[in-house]
Amino acid sequence: MQPRKLTLGAALAALSGLLLAACGSTAATSKATLTVGGVIAITGSSSFEGGNLFEGVYPAIYEINQAGGVLGHKLTLKQVDTRGDPADALPAVQQMLATTSNLVMVAGVDTSSAPTIVPVLNSAHIPMTTVAGESVYDQSPYPYFWRLFPPDSANGTAMALWAKKKGYTRVAAVFGSDPGSQGDLPGNVQSLKALHIPLVANITLTPGQSSYQSQVNQLIAAHPDVIMTEADSGTAGTFFGELKSLGGLVPIIGTQAMDTPPEISAIQSALGPTDFQKYMSMVISAPSQVTPAVTAFNNAVKGDASQIGVSVSQAQQNPFAVVYYDGMIAMALAMVAAKSTDPKVFNSYMSKVCNPGPGKTVVYTFAQGVKALNQGKQIQYFGASGLIDFNKYHNSYGNQEAVSLTSSGAAVPLGTISVQAIEAVKVTGVA
Amino acid sequence: MSGQLIASIADGVVLAAILAVAAMGFTLQFSLTNVLNLSFGSVMTVGAFVAYLIAVVHLTPWLGIALGGVAGAVTTVVLGRGVLRLYARRRTQLFEMMMVTLGLSLIIDYTVQAISHNNIYGYSVLQGSALSMGPIRVTPVQVGIVILALVVLLATWGSLKFTRMGKALRATAVEPGLARACGIPTGRVVLVTWVASGFLCGLAGVVFVISTQSVDYTTGEGFLPLVIAAAILGGVGNLWGAVGASLVMGIVTEVVAGLGQGGYSTVAGFAILVVVLLLRPGAVFGGSEDRQLVL
Repeated sequence: MQPRKLTLGAALAALSGLLLAACGSTAATSKATLTVGGVIAITGSSSFEGGNLFEGVYPAIYEINQAGGVLGHKLTLKQVDTRGDPADALPAVQQMLATTSNLVMVAGVDTSSAPTIVPVLNSAHIPMTTVAGESVYDQSPYPYFWRLFPPDSANGTAMALWAKKKGYTRVAAVFGSDPGSQGDLPGNVQSLKALHIPLVANITLTPGQSSYQSQVNQLIAAHPDVIMTEADSGTAGTFFGELKSLGGLVPIIGTQAMDTPPEISAIQSALGPTDFQKYMSMVISAPSQVTPAVTAFNNAVKGDASQIGVSVSQAQQNPFAVVYYDGMIAMALAMVAAKSTDPKVFNSYMSKVCNPGPGKTVVYTFAQGVKALNQGKQIQYFGASGLIDFNKYHNSYGNQEAVSLTSSGAAVPLGTISVQAIEAVKVTGVA
Repeated sequence: MSGQLIASIADGVVLAAILAVAAMGFTLQFSLTNVLNLSFGSVMTVGAFVAYLIAVVHLTPWLGIALGGVAGAVTTVVLGRGVLRLYARRRTQLFEMMMVTLGLSLIIDYTVQAISHNNIYGYSVLQGSALSMGPIRVTPVQVGIVILALVVLLATWGSLKFTRMGKALRATAVEPGLARACGIPTGRVVLVTWVASGFLCGLAGVVFVISTQSVDYTTGEGFLPLVIAAAILGGVGNLWGAVGASLVMGIVTEVVAGLGQGGYSTVAGFAILVVVLLLRPGAVFGGSEDRQLVL
């Protein structure tokens, strides 16, 4: 009997050991670091888009990790360089999907790569928070696609509405021929038509030209009283420099995409500080009122200043960064609410943790959200960019605002264009 | 409409002037060495950045123009004598040498990119109030660029035509072996050619960014196809041809843009090249397959 008892005891001990090991293994797995893919142009002519992303995502990860992570998991960012070119983006993303364990979401996907990459990520069941403005996503068929940013068409409409409000009667559209710059144009043109504002010139700029003199002369000959524009920084710098040299400056309204450091720097250099402040304005997403969410974002940027690659104040004023930040925080709260880091499970919780609703507790930070969820409450994350209210196509955007910029790049509000006014302009033929 | 056409032709002349300075440098070097130098655009960028740095430290832009040219000459000599000649001694063939220059171009571009932090820098110098003559609106600096191109053309043409070195250069370009046998110091001729073409290259880079009013690491690279096209269209080694081809490409480009088809302006310029190459298929290497590197 003795040997048998011994055998039974040994078996029990071995079983206990296995169970403990299994538990330990489970615990270790559950604490594994989760990866966020930053799929964006990091090098190449669109590399500023990578900067926008890092200025928002790194602070968000910092804040989440400082608060203990998502369900005990720390987050880390894996940079995936699309170079702003679908041909480079596709293999890079495929490699990311094949080699990245614990990939829970993607931030980014630049405008140029989005048509190629969004379907791939959607098929892989990877949720993404993006700022790609193409109107094709206004009615997105992709359940894993989330956009907290106005579509280009809405931005174009807001520009037209601002022109009407300012009493402009002769509009010239000057847009780069690259896909990123063309996004706002259809909505802009159709909205001008709907608002009965004549478009006296519609000029396309091919990037990288040595001169846009003919286009400048064409513009001057049309006698516009305002220019609406989006172009890459080099093209914009050359065009507006020549426009100034030839004495054709009139007020300029830029799209939201023009509110980035390279564009601002290029146009400011071309026009000079005085004319820049006199003539240049932009229509951008209306900045949020100062809420605890804004304070949390500012603190997170300060806390993770070494990662963002630009000055703290520059990152804090970046309208793209704050949207990326909100996307990350919202996604992390969705995981907590779903009690799962499985994208197939938590993806549907995005709207639940963001959209307003009766009885919901409004939270402004990740830590507040986790606390409320742990208390069994339903939450509404009010972001640093303002109210987040996803429609059925996973789009959320609010009011827009016309701003001018000081020489230091700080936005000076000129007026608001409400989301209701934008939606009231019925544009057709914009896809 | 005719006013717009006249304005576009004037704009085309300005563009042609910039193109011509670069194309003259390119064709001069190509005709002598037979190296299709794809690093030419990158050297333009170097010249442009030197001029930009001069502006940053608030020195006169004229110094920037001069030093931009010097930087182009120095860089070209380093590449030509320091690198390309090593390959020539190893009997590298024309196509392989072209690939070497492509590699050098990438090295220069990415070095400039790293140093410049991939930024685009504004470069507004010598700009003044626009001058109007009927439908034509130009700035004083654009008039200056056209005059500069004419001066460069006459100086280069005169040097080639009337100086001893110019004659030696033309003789070396036609038949290097015979020139050497006749006592022409072909090594020195090649060196002078590198210096002259490099100076024009750097100068073209500066003129280019004076026009575009911005500089970044891709500045010259984007302009290179037009330069090569103009050099080929004009006939390799033919200064007047290079200038004429620059005029055609510049005017066609700007007229198409002036007609509201800006997206097709460059395409139209290259369409001319395609047609000409169809009619003159041997233009690139002068129709001869036995041309050798002269370095």
